[in-house]
Formats: sequence, structure tokens, C-alpha cells
Amino acid sequence: MNAIKFGRAAVAIIAAALVPAICMADNERIAVFTKNQTNPFFQYVRLGADSAASQLNVKVQHYIPTKPDSIPEQLSQIEDVVVKRPDAVVFIPVDNKAMVPAVQKMNAAGIPVVNVTDRIQGGHIVSFVGADDYTLGLETGRYLLKSLGGKGQVVVIEGVKAALSSNNRLRGFRKALEEFPDVKVVASQPGNNQRLHALQVMENLLQSHQKIDGVFAVNDAMATGVIEALDGANRRALVVGINGTKEAIEAIKAGKLAATGDYASFLQGCFGVMAAVRELRKQPVPADITFPPAVIASDNLKAYDLVADQLKCPAWDSIVTK
Amino acid sequence: MKARLITAAEGSQRRNSALRISPLAARFVVLLLLCVGLATVSESFVTSGNALNILRQASLLFLLASGLTLVILTGGLDLSVGANVGLAACVAGVIIQSTGSVTLGVVAALACGTVVGLINATLVTVFRLPPFIATYGMLWALHGVTYAYMAGESIHGFPPAFRALGSGYLFGLPVPLLIAVAALLAGSYLTMRTTRGQEIYLMGSSPEVARLSGVPVGKRLFLVYTASGLMAGLAALVFLARLNSAEGDIGESLTLPAIAAVLLGGASLFGGVGTLLGTAVGAVILTLVLNGMNLLGINANWQPLVTGVVLLLAVVADVIGRRGDTQ
Repeated sequence: MNAIKFGRAAVAIIAAALVPAICMADNERIAVFTKNQTNPFFQYVRLGADSAASQLNVKVQHYIPTKPDSIPEQLSQIEDVVVKRPDAVVFIPVDNKAMVPAVQKMNAAGIPVVNVTDRIQGGHIVSFVGADDYTLGLETGRYLLKSLGGKGQVVVIEGVKAALSSNNRLRGFRKALEEFPDVKVVASQPGNNQRLHALQVMENLLQSHQKIDGVFAVNDAMATGVIEALDGANRRALVVGINGTKEAIEAIKAGKLAATGDYASFLQGCFGVMAAVRELRKQPVPADITFPPAVIASDNLKAYDLVADQLKCPAWDSIVTK
Repeated sequence: MKARLITAAEGSQRRNSALRISPLAARFVVLLLLCVGLATVSESFVTSGNALNILRQASLLFLLASGLTLVILTGGLDLSVGANVGLAACVAGVIIQSTGSVTLGVVAALACGTVVGLINATLVTVFRLPPFIATYGMLWALHGVTYAYMAGESIHGFPPAFRALGSGYLFGLPVPLLIAVAALLAGSYLTMRTTRGQEIYLMGSSPEVARLSGVPVGKRLFLVYTASGLMAGLAALVFLARLNSAEGDIGESLTLPAIAAVLLGGASLFGGVGTLLGTAVGAVILTLVLNGMNLLGINANWQPLVTGVVLLLAVVADVIGRRGDTQ
């Protein structure tokens, strides 16, 4: 052990002395694509990517459309990248079909692509890293329905129509509903993944439904909008969301939110970059790295309640066992 | 009203005021029809709770649309209102949370909105940029500043005294509604009862006449764009208090509905026509559509279509009504 420590120290000292030279020679450059600057989810993906990059001593450059989720903008950023030629790309497509030609362009340029969060519908990728929306919807839904004692009236706040992740989460929730035949869905309305929209939709639904026991919101921003509507109307219901955002965790702490499905944003950033670096360093990478669905609630809150700079990427084999 | 405008202007003014009032009546008819329709199909529609609910939601939209109405009356446009709300809300949110002072936050949001309005006015009057381009550029600049400022984070949890601004009640009425009514009265007084207001109409209906008759066009443009900025700052506070959280994209989806409320209220994008009361009715109509769809439980897939059709029908009814008036 001591020998190893001494060895590490020696390496560190030599490395420090040679930093400029090593940077030029050795550091792999990874381009990381996220969808927007507004959603905290992607902020945590970027933090995860940065954390993995500093552990693995690689350089990360972030590409973010200035107009959130803009297809043309991400396309032109890919064109930039094909010219600048980073060693690998960690790629969250703003649209999983429209971005297929972009992936093919990077394939043609010989840049390895690790696909994160939303599974691209074509092109060649080294690996897909993400959470599974269907099982998250299923497990978070089960948690809500179980907490209701298997009965009662439930409202669903849907996300953006035609968005894959929203639809898969809803599919998971409907599967969970089949297991609880005494629960009735009294309304299922779109909140467009927006806090304000969800708030107003919930305010309206509270007018037409005198008894609402539970609310399944497809994401956390909408869940917090729902909570504000309930508070404003002085009503109570069990609310769950999905994503595991910091805000949701604080709402659970405050007793306002029952649970949130963990979309593992930070881990997605970590493992996206780790997978890319392993590929470059000729280490094995499985084609699919899906995080097991986890529901964050008051009983397991501690493990998730960390501030951003306490977060550290876990070891590769703590999650990838193949 | 001692400072009367010259006769030519007065003529066009009279014609305008005739045009201004009857379409307003047509709009109330649309509103009434929507209400009657909803009342017959949904039993929860006709409750005082639902009425207050709709008025509170419409108030948020009206606050944003009110300043915009003044801009549109001059024949201008302010596309930056939504982005302005985003920045003002985030600035206020950060200040309230870091200093604990609600007053400082309120002042900051109003100042932030006003400064943005002043910059818009400068771009339009001093640099003579077309309002569409000036405020569209401003929209991007504001988004950029807001995103960089928030760095993808959102902040939440404000003191109850502040939240009352969005979700509180006074004399049994929602606070946002009272703020909106105050804005409506002040704005209507400005536009209908003061020389400045008349000049604003004239600038939109006959810009040449306005210029030749000595209306201080630059000053009035400063007035309307700054008012639009200030109202965006005020709207930001009410949104922030209602949502109890601030995030970079808070205002992003608000600009087009605000413009739609102004136009549904009878204003013309060419300027010179429209009233604040009309805009208020427009805001209520837009809100009713969402409320009605939720109460009726219309399938999410069909909601955008229903919204579009109702908007078009409202405008068609207005066009027909207007034709009847002038013939």
C-alpha cells in the first residue's frame, strides 16, 4: 500500500512538473452535447461529465444550443465538431430521430460516439448510457399507488406530447395502474413539462374534482407546480414526480412531495464520459449501460441529498458489472 | 383635455374611437358565448371558485400584455417581454434568497424590467431599428444573460409575505387580480383620458400626421417601451410569487400568448386600434380555453387543435362584427 501511495505521489509530482507537456500529448478531448442551459437535469449531466473528466484526466468541451432543444443549432454544432475532431463525443440528441444524420456524420469522420439519456434511432454508437423511462414510470407509479393504499382518485400531468420520455413514463405508470384496480384516474392533462402550465392545469382540475388523492406528474418541475396549486387551494394530495432534481429532493425533505424517480443525471454524465474514455483506452465497454430504476422518498433521502460539489463519480465497476 | 390635437388628427381620432368601442362589444359577446357554452357542458364551471381561478390566471397574462398593448398601439412590437420576465424573476429570486429582503427583490425586478424597456426604447428611437428586430435581438440577449446568470440552476422557496403577491387574497379577491385591475385602470386612464394617450393612438393610426402635428414621437416611444418593460418586471414578481421558484426559462412560453391576448382584444399590429380593456378580455378568453379544456377533460392530443380553432373563431367573429359596424 505504502509503495503504491509513494508511487502515486511520485507520479503526481512528476506530472505537475510536466503538466504543459502532458496536456498537449496525452489528454483525450471529449465533446459533450446536452440539450439546453435551462433544465437543471442537464446541468447535473455536465457536472457529472466534468467530475469524470477530472478523475480520468481528460478535457471536456460542452456544446449546448443557445435556443433550448434546437435541432438546427445542434446540427451545426455537430458540423463544428466534425471539423475540430475531438477524440470522442458524448451525445445527448435534442431529437432522437432528427439527429441520426448527425451521428452518421460523426461515424463517417471516425469519431466514436457515446449516446446518453435519449436513445438515438440510428447510426453507430459505442454505447448507450441512460435511465429507463418506462421502468422509472412503473416504479414511481407503484410507489404512489402503494402509498395511497391501493385506492383513491388520481390525476396525471403529462409532459410534452410526442416526447418519447414522457410517453414511456406514462406507459410505465399505466402498467402500474393495472396492479391497483381500485385506483381511478379522474383526469390526464398535459403540463408540457412546464411549471406554470402544470400549476394552472392543476388549479383548473381542483375546480372540477372535489376529491383528488394522488398526482402523478411526468417530471419534477410539473410536480412542484402541482404542489403550489394544491397549497394555493388549501388541498392535500400525494404528489410524485420524476427526475430526482435538487428541488424535488428539497420538496421531499419539506414533506410536500411524496417521491421522485431518480433519472440519475449526474451518473449519466459520469458514465457517458467514462465509457468514451474506456473506448479510447481500449478497455471493454458494454453496448448498454442502463441504471436500475430508483425511487427517492423520505426513507432513502440521505443518499441523494448532497450539494453539487460533494458529488463524485462512483467507480466504473460499481454499476457496470459486465 | 385642454391640449387638443389638430382637426385632421381629431377626425381620424373620432373614427378610431368609434371603431374601438364596437369591436370591444363583439369581444364581450365572444366571451359570453364561451362562458355560456362551458357552463352548459361543465357543472364545475359556474362556481365562484372557478371564476376567481380563471381571473387570477388571466391576471398574470394581462399584466404582461398590458404594457405590450401600449407598444402595439404605436404600431410597434415588444418581443422581449417573456425574456424580460425571465431575467427580472431570476434577479429578484436570487436577491430575495440571498438578502432575505422582499423589498430589495421587488425593487430589483421592477428596475430590471424598466432598464430593459429603456434599452429597447433607445434601440428603436435613437438607433432607429425596426421594433421587431430590436426586441427580437433583446429577447436573445436576455435569454443569454439569464441562462448564464442561473447556470442551469433553479431557485425556490420564498418568504410567505412575498408569495402572497401571487397566491394571496385581499377582500376575498386574489392579489394578482387586484394588481391587474389597478394596472387596467391606470393604463386606461393614460390611454383614454390624457393627451399623451391620444398621441400614442395617433402615432399608430397616422404616423405622418403625428409627426407633423408636433407629437414628441421619440418621447412617447420611450414611454411605451419603458412601460412595457416595467409591466414585465411587475408580471415577473407575480409569476415568481405564484410559482414560488425561478428558473431561466420561466418567461419563455409567455410572449406569444401575451401578443395573442392583445390581438384577441381587438388591437391591430399596425397600431392605432385597441384598448386595455379589450386586452383584458383577450387574456380572459385565452385563459378560458385552457380552463375549459381541463374541466372537460379533453384529450391532450387534441388540445392544441382546440386552442387554435377557438382563437381563429374568436377572430372571425370579430372581423364579421367589425364589418357590420362600418357598413
